Amino acid sequence: MTQRLNYIVPTVAVGAWLAMGLLAVQPGSAEEKSAATVQAESTLQSVSVSAPMVKGALPVDDPNAAVWSSATLARFPMSPQVHWPNRILEATVRDLNVRALHDGTNVAILLEYTDPTEDPDDAAAIQFMVGDKKAHFAHGQPMAQVEGGPVNIWFWKNKDGKALDMNAKGFGTLKVQTHQDVKAKGAYANGTWKVVFTRPLSTEHADEDTQIAQGGFVNIAFAVWDGKKDASGELKEKGSQKAVSSWWYFRAEAPPDYSGYYYALLAVGLALGFQFVLIRKLKKGQSA
Amino acid sequence: MGGSLLKPVILIGIVYAILKFVVPNIPGSAPLPASLIFLYLMLTTSGIVIFATLSGESKDAFWNPIQRFLTGENIGGLQVLRYGVLLLFPLMVGWQTYSSTATSDAPPSENRTIHPAPPGEYTGLSNPVPKTPDTIQQGKGFYAAFCSPCHGGNFDGKGPAARGFNPPPANFSDPTTIAMLQESYLFWRIKKGGVGLPIEGMPWKSAMPRWEVELPDEWIWKIIMGEYDGAHQAPRTWE
Repeated sequence: MTQRLNYIVPTVAVGAWLAMGLLAVQPGSAEEKSAATVQAESTLQSVSVSAPMVKGALPVDDPNAAVWSSATLARFPMSPQVHWPNRILEATVRDLNVRALHDGTNVAILLEYTDPTEDPDDAAAIQFMVGDKKAHFAHGQPMAQVEGGPVNIWFWKNKDGKALDMNAKGFGTLKVQTHQDVKAKGAYANGTWKVVFTRPLSTEHADEDTQIAQGGFVNIAFAVWDGKKDASGELKEKGSQKAVSSWWYFRAEAPPDYSGYYYALLAVGLALGFQFVLIRKLKKGQSA
Repeated sequence: MGGSLLKPVILIGIVYAILKFVVPNIPGSAPLPASLIFLYLMLTTSGIVIFATLSGESKDAFWNPIQRFLTGENIGGLQVLRYGVLLLFPLMVGWQTYSSTATSDAPPSENRTIHPAPPGEYTGLSNPVPKTPDTIQQGKGFYAAFCSPCHGGNFDGKGPAARGFNPPPANFSDPTTIAMLQESYLFWRIKKGGVGLPIEGMPWKSAMPRWEVELPDEWIWKIIMGEYDGAHQAPRTWE
């Protein structure tokens, strides 16, 4: 009987001990999931755009380049701009596909969306927060209890064929910067617009331009205008009448970092050493 | 000798089973996070160790089997298990270290307070508009014109303009929204909009318009009545 217990007890003890070890490990991995991630899984929409680092030239002029497929597709729902007048209750674009790449110096962001007609006034924009202060997604308008910061807007219009680098801090404050760092190129085919925006990751104007540090997350939002004219010759969407997204996240991926493996190896070595010393001590104690 | 080790193991097993399977099923309770269960098990374990080491005799009965297992003397067939443990422990430590130092791919987590405290001047206001079928009907009309594009014709937060917004527009038919709020709270939220929220409400993300610049107060009070009536909810009161 005692012999059997000698076998059973440590087996159960080891089992329980391993279960506790697993429990200790589990919180670290399981609870990292933010509420945002959980939401993304349930509605099949993205919460962030991740730009992998590519070797070689960025496809700044080519929205159809094969290298874009190496970037993970992010998909964001769009709403008509109903937040402030003049609002619209229905917008043409309902979903926006986004991919991004960077080469360590420049970042390229590809917007892709369905638009049944190509019009001179078709336009798209990307918005970022600038600096540490939070900015409201509607042009950084003032908030009652929080001191907000400005937004940086990269704007492209089909008939202009170029990008405008702008800032805003509230309605009616939209201003084109004196230094233009953003390039854009649009291509329309088969009812789909593809627009590439390019800019250096960092610029010399940190108070006006969003600075993209590799590995860090910045806030990003999008807007799209369908420049189609209605029967009376009025633009269907213009100015504040557009499709908008909420704030999401953008990240230029950092180069691979292997330090985690080194730390893990070191920890394994330390644990082995601890076991060795402990058992040697126990053995000495027993024989004494 | 086995008993002194077997009992603690069974005890820990029971505590784990209670925390994991019984506690979540108590009405009004919720599943415990793994970190909390771990903390409770650690407390239980330290309690057991303290209890077992109270007397010299119980201490020996408690430690001897563990000691013998670790040193591997006279444990027969358990030798294989022992090597397994001696191998698994360092690997586990390594895994834990790796997962705690590895850079996360997840964007920063956001703990947004959905119903933060209103400014003092918006607590305890009562609706100045008399509640009649007429005023409720007017409120529903205003709701249809100004609120339903996002909050939905069915008061369910699923209006045609809602899809792109994060946080999503509130679902008034959900008992955890307007049913647990007072009318004066709604008055504040409608009047001051998303930009009126305190920092814990993340005002920079909210698409809720600041209706005070477009609608008179009386219309807002009527909208509130129409909202409760349409969503089949009643405002919270302190009675």
